[in-house]
Amino acid sequence: MSAAFTPALLVRFDALRSQYPPEMKTSLVLPLLHCVQDEQGFVTEADAVRIAEYIGMPAIQVVEALTWYTMFDREPQGRYVIKVCRNIACSLRGSENVLAHLQQKLGIGVGETTADGRFTLKTVECLASCGTAPAMQVNRTYHEQLDAAKLDRILESLP
Amino acid sequence: MSGPVFMSFPVTATSHTLAEYRARGGYAALERALREMTPAQVGAQAKASGLQGRGGAGFQTGLKWEFVSKDAPVVYLCCNIDEGEPGTFKDRWILEHSPHQLLEGMLFAAYALRVRHAFAYIRGEFDLPLRRLQGALDEARAAGLLGENVCGSGFSCDIVLHRGAGAYVCGEESSLINSLEGKKGFPRNKPPFPAVRGLYQKPTVVNNVETLATVPWIMTHGAAAYAEMGIKKTPGTRLFGVSGHVEQPGLFERPTGYPLAQLIMQDAGGILGGRKLKAVIPGGSSTPILTAAEIEGLTLDPESMTRAGSMVGSGAVIVIAEGTCMVRLLQVLSRFYAHESCGQCTPCREGTDWMNRILERIVAGQGTAADLATLRRLPTGIMGNTVCALGDAASMPVVSFIKKFGHEFEHFVTHGRSLHDGRLAP
Amino acid sequence: MSTTGIKLTIDQREIEARPGETVLQAARRNGVDIPHFCYHDKLSIAGSCRICLVKVNNLPKLQPACNLAAAPNMIVETNVEQVQKAREDVLQFLLVNHPLDCGICDKAGECRLQDYQHKYGPAQSISRDPKHHKRKLHDLGPRITLDNERCILCSRCVRFTREISRTNALGIVERGNHSYVEAQVPGQFDDPYSDNVIDLCPTGALLSRDFLYKCRVWFLQPIRSVCTGCARGCSIKSWKRMNVRQQHMPGAAPGNAAYRTTARENPAINGPWLCNKGYDQHTWMSRERVPHPLVDGAPATVGEAMAKRLLSTARNPAVLVSTHASNEELDVLQAVLGAVPAYPHRDWLPVAGEVVEDNLLIRADKNPNRRGVVARFGDQEFDPAAGHDLVVVWGEVSTPLPLGATRWIHLTPFGTPSERPAAVVLPVSNTYERQGTFTNFEGTLNAFEPLFEKPAHAQHAADVFRSLAS
Repeated sequence: MSAAFTPALLVRFDALRSQYPPEMKTSLVLPLLHCVQDEQGFVTEADAVRIAEYIGMPAIQVVEALTWYTMFDREPQGRYVIKVCRNIACSLRGSENVLAHLQQKLGIGVGETTADGRFTLKTVECLASCGTAPAMQVNRTYHEQLDAAKLDRILESLP
Repeated sequence: MSGPVFMSFPVTATSHTLAEYRARGGYAALERALREMTPAQVGAQAKASGLQGRGGAGFQTGLKWEFVSKDAPVVYLCCNIDEGEPGTFKDRWILEHSPHQLLEGMLFAAYALRVRHAFAYIRGEFDLPLRRLQGALDEARAAGLLGENVCGSGFSCDIVLHRGAGAYVCGEESSLINSLEGKKGFPRNKPPFPAVRGLYQKPTVVNNVETLATVPWIMTHGAAAYAEMGIKKTPGTRLFGVSGHVEQPGLFERPTGYPLAQLIMQDAGGILGGRKLKAVIPGGSSTPILTAAEIEGLTLDPESMTRAGSMVGSGAVIVIAEGTCMVRLLQVLSRFYAHESCGQCTPCREGTDWMNRILERIVAGQGTAADLATLRRLPTGIMGNTVCALGDAASMPVVSFIKKFGHEFEHFVTHGRSLHDGRLAP
Repeated sequence: MSTTGIKLTIDQREIEARPGETVLQAARRNGVDIPHFCYHDKLSIAGSCRICLVKVNNLPKLQPACNLAAAPNMIVETNVEQVQKAREDVLQFLLVNHPLDCGICDKAGECRLQDYQHKYGPAQSISRDPKHHKRKLHDLGPRITLDNERCILCSRCVRFTREISRTNALGIVERGNHSYVEAQVPGQFDDPYSDNVIDLCPTGALLSRDFLYKCRVWFLQPIRSVCTGCARGCSIKSWKRMNVRQQHMPGAAPGNAAYRTTARENPAINGPWLCNKGYDQHTWMSRERVPHPLVDGAPATVGEAMAKRLLSTARNPAVLVSTHASNEELDVLQAVLGAVPAYPHRDWLPVAGEVVEDNLLIRADKNPNRRGVVARFGDQEFDPAAGHDLVVVWGEVSTPLPLGATRWIHLTPFGTPSERPAAVVLPVSNTYERQGTFTNFEGTLNAFEPLFEKPAHAQHAADVFRSLAS
């Protein structure tokens, strides 16, 4: 990321700030971290420090949040981040098969990114899709009731 | 359609819209209450209904509201949409198909508690539920149902939609509050309780989605009508979710006190592939597991569940068929709790990781009898000694799995392999 | 017993708590030591270490004493079996990944974890798994090393930087048992009060780089002393080697040198805190001395006699009085001074890069006893045009003196170089070498004890004055 946030991003920061009562400025930490994550796909510690400057609060608190919450990536990821649920209901309905199929199809392991930068594969905890298990997220989108055929269709359909 | 409070309409591509919510009577109760009732009267109705929190803890909602001082100049309301208890998927249904029901419920609560600023803390992963709720908020604002002067009544309230960022522990109310303040989701020691000092040290009420979304029905049909449904001590209906090895997993709105076996064998179509039932986790992964024999005659209410040594919890019924390896299944859970432990307090931070590492070794064929002894002992050092219930939640599966399926664990450490080929899925 | 006190029972003994006190505070005040790591009087309550759990009113669930308000008729048990087991379990959990570094860890002998493990802990660890590894002994900043494996994540250091020094320099990052303490700017723990976290830390995670590996603490004894860095005169402990055995360890401090300085709690002056300059007091006190009396720059033994001759021939002498002098020395000077004018001397001004003054401890006047001097001699500024033909300058000269060509006699403990050498230089003793008191900027008296005998070549200033007067 360049040394400063883009004007467009700052406009979104301002819009988020206006949603909260002024005495709640530190509540902006997660919304602004999400904003940067959504914009560039990852958030660096330097970004966290700049967010702190924008809000007007100690930088360390934003750095702590950045490192504690699991949805913020510290490094660039693939274009499509596949997050397979590995919790109990999905495990009972075949999440291990989903994972194995994706690993075999994409040729990468968990935590890795394909050489062409297209896919990153991760495991996550319960996505609240237990009734439609096994489930995964590709970027923001939920995909549920997965089987090998459906996985292949999903992968093929991605632009 | 399968229930009076939630599943009272056919789900379509538009049933979540304001127009359709109004068409099924939505917001009529709110408009009437804002004209004719005082905040105290609304609170009294909630209390009289006997409604219990639906997040898992089951505290009396009306009572929780009463803990807030009437003289407090600033009171906050937070709706807990951090649905993350494994097995639970009911709150997202409400957001996807009837988000205005939640908004109406939040406005009732805000009115009763004199709240000007309310927050909907939604887990960061949610996609469609977030979009539907955002859409509902936009519709409500445009229709004068939210913001300054709601329905022209003089009562003002706005709701900020705030995304979490991937932390199960933020479903704990004080952790949610810390997260809303921009901090790590560390739970707080209590006292003080949130109703006294919560968000930014102001009195705060945190309520689950299903709890708040029940309020419009209570206000429409009356507290007495709600209290008549289900079991007397803990009345009403609940959205029970059934997942795991059943033919038709899904959500079912049923009265409290509904027979657990019926929910599994009839409503959810029985065990997948016609196999035999082995075990049930009745209320979300943090509740003690029950064997097939133990669920006979059990009903989904606190009294019956307590007698059986478990809990109704979040109403999330996880069904396990014969042939499943209970050791591997426990390790799926221990991995989860170790991942989610916030790290604040000693017993949970070290204990969850320790239990998981032992289970990892057992599952890898390197466990010993000493490991089982340790697994029996560690929960006694964690339970009751932590800042929040995550420590208990992580311990109860370990205690109950080993108690009920000890022979599988013995087998694994003796022979270095699973009694059931390590099988989890059918 | 006062009527506003709260009566409760701890370990079957009735005690009285003050309104607003927690069970932990009330117990401590009444001599009952409930173990605690994360709790500290002056920091917010964390309630996270869980070693202070106690049994209350026979309830099945134990309560953390640090967060429990003392209530009337409360029954607290701090030593029943359930409590003992809980403490043992907490220690078992703390030790599962804690490295057994005691043999090479500076904190041994004054380590709270070690002490509690000895008193309350399990006989041995029941863990079979290899310990998790984190970053060991690395520089948190220029003054402090951090060993993340030793850290028990009590958050005292983090809360100190948020609530007391307010630099927000430290935090705990990551989650669960992957978490670790980190400086917001790694390697640069930039905080004028950074060293307080060393004493706050209940384990050997945070250690002083200055003191690292210099001496085992059980060979040291703390002497009650006062910092001379500014007009607050914080209470300190100056640690010297005990004269138990005359071993000469490699790297042992030579001569009259103290090994380290730590804060000594004084509610009236500095509370439990000390600034970094105070933590460096022992380094300050081991600067180069004036090795012998000097007359016109050359070593002399009759310097004193010389001074007497100079003094007797002076028509209009004056004295610049050291504001590092003790009240007792000042009394002697006052008694022998007669009509000779005396002015307060500014031994030290703030140096470049030093914090001048803040809202916590640091005062702009970098001398500990100006009030003592002013009380006896007034606060008139020395006037170069007053026609003094001989000036006795008592104290260090750190900035050019407005003496013009006037001859001067210098009484000083340390050899601070000056632009124009004095006619006579007399080495005198420093604060480590005698006892005395200072009066701080608020008028509070603070007393210090000696660590060492003065060196043979130095005089006590009081003796010099008595001798010069006769």
